[in-house]
Amino acid sequence: MMQTYHQIARGDTLLAVDHVSLSFGGVKAITDVSFDIRKGEIRAIIGPNGAGKTSMLNVINGFYHPQKGQITFKGLTRSRMRPSVAASQGIARTFQNVALFKGMSTLDNIMAGRTLKMHRNFFWQCLRHGPAMDEEIKHREFVEDIIDFLEIQAIRKVPVGKLPYGLQKRVELGRALAMEPDLLLLDEPMAGMNLEEKEDMSRFIVDVNQQYGTTIALIEHDMGVVMDLSDRVVVLEYGHKLADGTPDDVKANEDVIKAYLGVAH
Amino acid sequence: MDILFKILIDPFLQMGSAPDLLVQTIWEGFVTGVLYALIALGFVLIFKASGVFNFAQGIMVVFAGLTLVGLYEMGLPAPIALIVTLLVMYVLAVTIERVVLRPLVNQPDIILFMATFGITYFLIGLGEFIFGGNPKQMISEQLYLPKGSLEFKMLGGFVQLQKIDIAAAVIAMIMIIALALFFQYTRIGRALRAVADSHKAALSVGISLNQIWVIVWFAAGIVALVTGIMWGARSDVSFGLQVIALKALPVLILGGFTSVPGAIIGGLIIGIGEKLGEFYWGPLVGGGIESWLAYCIALFFLLFRPQGLFGDKIIERI
Repeated sequence: MMQTYHQIARGDTLLAVDHVSLSFGGVKAITDVSFDIRKGEIRAIIGPNGAGKTSMLNVINGFYHPQKGQITFKGLTRSRMRPSVAASQGIARTFQNVALFKGMSTLDNIMAGRTLKMHRNFFWQCLRHGPAMDEEIKHREFVEDIIDFLEIQAIRKVPVGKLPYGLQKRVELGRALAMEPDLLLLDEPMAGMNLEEKEDMSRFIVDVNQQYGTTIALIEHDMGVVMDLSDRVVVLEYGHKLADGTPDDVKANEDVIKAYLGVAH
Repeated sequence: MDILFKILIDPFLQMGSAPDLLVQTIWEGFVTGVLYALIALGFVLIFKASGVFNFAQGIMVVFAGLTLVGLYEMGLPAPIALIVTLLVMYVLAVTIERVVLRPLVNQPDIILFMATFGITYFLIGLGEFIFGGNPKQMISEQLYLPKGSLEFKMLGGFVQLQKIDIAAAVIAMIMIIALALFFQYTRIGRALRAVADSHKAALSVGISLNQIWVIVWFAAGIVALVTGIMWGARSDVSFGLQVIALKALPVLILGGFTSVPGAIIGGLIIGIGEKLGEFYWGPLVGGGIESWLAYCIALFFLLFRPQGLFGDKIIERI
């Protein structure tokens, strides 16, 4: 039985990854990894390059199909799913290398995030009148709120291809938020940003989590950011799970120290 | 000196001395151009949404035309045959998506391009198998397309317009406007543009690529059907028609592979340029330049504006 997001209590399991293995030909990207994401938390996935973090996100939102194991989201278990279905069930994401609709304006990009929420049929859309127009206006209001929230009013009409990288990342976050997701996956939201941009982005992530109660899973390399933001951290290395726990637990874990810092012999 | 005079001055003197002939030539070029634009439009639709250069667009034109005439010959009334042909084009779109595109997701563009060659030869075989290889006459009367011509006295002579050509121009324009509005203002249109920009981002916001591909291939199928009817009404519906797909190449190079207005204006420039070239400059080399002039124009454009008149400029950061 599928539950809605609101039926799941804060702190209960929203998503469970159960013994997932993924390989490409002979390359094992993920080996037998299990962890869970609880409703309302910020969950970080960390690990060295090539540890399988992005592969993990791709499994969660249906880009990749694991050979073994299964994913349970909102009480519904499945081993394969299509990205469009994942999106309609409430999983939104951003990408490591920004994936925006470069030819379209900021506004259109974020409106694209409302795709699944718009239902008026084709006939009304063509007329651009009546119910379809009301619907468009309603969604436009929602999108304007997001634009205000992310402080990107000034670039509303600018084609996103022309924007600097930091702002593109913000627009991408906006598009994901427009989907009103239950689970937001962020793949290195702060990669390539300067200190000020990182602070802004951290603030937005915390605000999204607290104001809208959105559950967030994020991949990030900046350990300062990870330890500050997240409630719990899972550490991957070479496709295996190395550690799982609160930031303090993970920081004290010897395997993690070894993987990240190396140990004097 | 004499040759320079013949190339640079004489043709314009001819144009000036018989303006009615000039108008007639431009009109002929305009109509050919409209049909080129229609074919190019089919290409642009699919190229925008999937990055695939659809070599099969030409044979789709023939196949749609043959199906329509074939169904009529089997005894269906013309309007019903038209509707059934539309259904066939829809089934074709769904089949191509299922059998060809879906298994080739994430493959390099060149693989998909080669796959459209496969589609081309499959459709040639299928068409010959069902409808035979002989040219067929388009059922223009039964589809209520006008016949005959209009003559206008003007500019000291007269200009003759075929009614079918006027109908072709009007229908093509209505279709182009409808497509443009569809792309710009509907949710599906926005989804199509989104898919054109980034597949994975489109997937992540819940747009179904499979659904979009069926829609664009069906739209290209409708465009092919209209092209088939209009072109078939001027000559015959035969497999030889598919080479006009090659004419879409210079049109696309001129207009840009991703631009709908580019396809239209490119089509018109090539169509009118061809006819003017043939009529005024052709005699200098014994005629027959119509068949290759378009490619020369395209080549010239590639030297100076490789992205076409309206195409997206490709800038890559190193």
